[in-house]
Amino acid sequence: MSNRPTRRDFLSQLGVTTAAMAVGSVAGAGVAGIAHAQEKPKGTIPATPFKIGHMTFFTGAGAVLGEPMYKGNVLAAEEINAQGGLLGKRKIEILKADEAAGTDANTKEMRRLKLSEHIDMFMGITSSGNTPALGPVAEELKLLTIFIDGCTDFLFDKAVPNPRYIFRITNIQSADGSTCAVGVAQTWPNIKTYANIHPDYAYGRNCFDHFGIVTKKLLPNAKSVSEAWPKLFSTDFTPHITKTLAAKPDLLVTSLWGGDYVAFYKQALQYGLFDKMKVATTLALGSAPQSIGKDHPEGVLTGVHANYHFTYPAGNRWPLNKTFVEKYKARWNEYPNFQAEGAYTATYALKTALEKANKLIGGWPDDDAVIGQLEGMMIAGPGGYVSIRPDNHQGYKDAITGFSKNVPEYPFPILDPSRIITIPIRNITAPPGWPKGEPTSTYTWIEQTWPQMKA
Amino acid sequence: MDILVVHLFNALLYASVLFLIAGGLSLIYGVMRIVNLAHGNLFAVGAFTTASAVGVWFAGSTSALLFLLVPIGAVAAAAIGAVVEPTLLRRFYRRPEEYQLLVTFGLLMILEDVMRFLWGPYPISASVLFEKMGSLHVGDYIYPRYNLLVIATGVLAALFLWAFIYRTKFGVVLRATSQDMRRASALGVNVNLVYVEAFTIGCFMAGLGGAIIAPSQPAVLGMGVDALVLSFIVVVIGGLGSLEGALVGALIVGVIREIGISVFPEIELAVLYLIAAGVLFVRPAGLFGRTA
Repeated sequence: MSNRPTRRDFLSQLGVTTAAMAVGSVAGAGVAGIAHAQEKPKGTIPATPFKIGHMTFFTGAGAVLGEPMYKGNVLAAEEINAQGGLLGKRKIEILKADEAAGTDANTKEMRRLKLSEHIDMFMGITSSGNTPALGPVAEELKLLTIFIDGCTDFLFDKAVPNPRYIFRITNIQSADGSTCAVGVAQTWPNIKTYANIHPDYAYGRNCFDHFGIVTKKLLPNAKSVSEAWPKLFSTDFTPHITKTLAAKPDLLVTSLWGGDYVAFYKQALQYGLFDKMKVATTLALGSAPQSIGKDHPEGVLTGVHANYHFTYPAGNRWPLNKTFVEKYKARWNEYPNFQAEGAYTATYALKTALEKANKLIGGWPDDDAVIGQLEGMMIAGPGGYVSIRPDNHQGYKDAITGFSKNVPEYPFPILDPSRIITIPIRNITAPPGWPKGEPTSTYTWIEQTWPQMKA
Repeated sequence: MDILVVHLFNALLYASVLFLIAGGLSLIYGVMRIVNLAHGNLFAVGAFTTASAVGVWFAGSTSALLFLLVPIGAVAAAAIGAVVEPTLLRRFYRRPEEYQLLVTFGLLMILEDVMRFLWGPYPISASVLFEKMGSLHVGDYIYPRYNLLVIATGVLAALFLWAFIYRTKFGVVLRATSQDMRRASALGVNVNLVYVEAFTIGCFMAGLGGAIIAPSQPAVLGMGVDALVLSFIVVVIGGLGSLEGALVGALIVGVIREIGISVFPEIELAVLYLIAAGVLFVRPAGLFGRTA
């Protein structure tokens, strides 16, 4: 047991870095970026519109994530159409569908979009409850699909273990809990007790599990002393806050997001919660940057779905991000979130796949040719590189999190530019071929292969 | 010990808001025998209106003005009620219940879309009042003063309604119409006027519930449907059509939820439904319900 690694050694093995400068970018010439010049397509391309069925939350509390997703898709489509369309000919036409109709109605709507509207492709989906239901239907319909979110590990672990037609662009869900736990272990290694407040659905459960297993490995002395499971889309958190205060933990971990998180932090402020413990979150600054006020305390570990915050990479270090944020702000008069970035990148992944396939075979490529190009594709998006793994069709992007900070440039807190934490995604997700596990493959992979730190 | 006081305040806070919503729902059912499914979104209209008045339109004004602006949400909800009852709902009182449910449910969805159209998809906060009032010390803990104001509003609303219904002439007319609409009408009561007034008061209460919490909880899309479901639990426990039932039901739900979250966090969602199911077993019409 004496040759166990120290926490610091292991964190550096994980590639966890805390300096904004640490991720050296190579955004010079030669990067196959989003806006690279288009070559003249080979063969004849039909001029019929390319129809994308875009389903996301347009009503209800989920619209806080759904609207930016749709806006990201529309922005990319407008840019592509301004250049003549896909392969210079086919204009993108987006058909909206409301995910708030419920899982059963959503599967029917997906069928209708394919069979009656003859969509060429399906995009969207926010909820982790919907991708496992829609994935098998898309496979059955042979409908080319890029899910933007709905990031549950369950989709490619269990629901569709061998996908053909469906892909997913955002980070896998388990990365959220793991990234948060790594951030805590690095920042506050001395915590002894922690409390949990998670929304009572797939995402909250997943964050709880993965925060727990990573913390068990990295901080064996830390014990969970309180759990609260508010309903998703609640606005009154006073009992959960009171319960957490009564447990007197060193740290609170929460995966509340959107309006839930806004309600939570404003109430928690008045109960003095932030003065009594450290707080770590998985999605606080992720859902809608402008919805968090400057009254939000600084120095909270504020997650962004392990995925994207529009201020990172900063400045002009990754020009794709700078131009994306500027264009998005000009078009929609707000700042993009991870959903907007995901939908934007997904649309360009499609464009890139079509161009590559066209170069090989000429004419308008069929779905098989496009799928062949998407599998294994690495594309540079505003947030960095995304690689689509050929075996499970999941997009992988390095995980990021950071600490809330108020700066004069924005009327809301952003991630402290000097303390961004990044983790190479392959170090916190199960590798290809790892056996399917419970509750997730990544969970069993961490449990069985990560070393146990000294107490 | 002091933590128990905080828990008790939390329970009363929740009960106060629930009473305002469920009380309005029950009042409307008691008088007009119509289950207003749009009621939840009148609560949401109250919250959105006050949140934007305090947090956006008049942001930066003196706090005295902002406090005066809080009830504007209730006025907005009441105004919608005063228009909707005579123009839309009145045509359906004599029709079977299915029509009423379809119409009010349609109204619920229309209001949801109108709110998204007017206010967009993002949460709107009016937390400046919540913050200005600060917190008071309860032993080792602190408690937001604003929440005490919400509790006081709930208590005052209950007292006011009681006095209004049992101590005024209008209350007598209202109760008479509720018990036998035809006979009241034959005795010269202007039933249509009573209906529009009762409906407006019911909507005002829902709007007040939304308005009063807007400073402490942001207005978000979907909050109306949530509130509707909860207020149904309250009226199932208390008995539909009974204000006493709404009050007792709200208190039961507030206390049970607080205990449930602390003791059985894993089944927080189920606890309230279990209580409602239990009451239905013992008293199918609710604790204060009249059996038909």
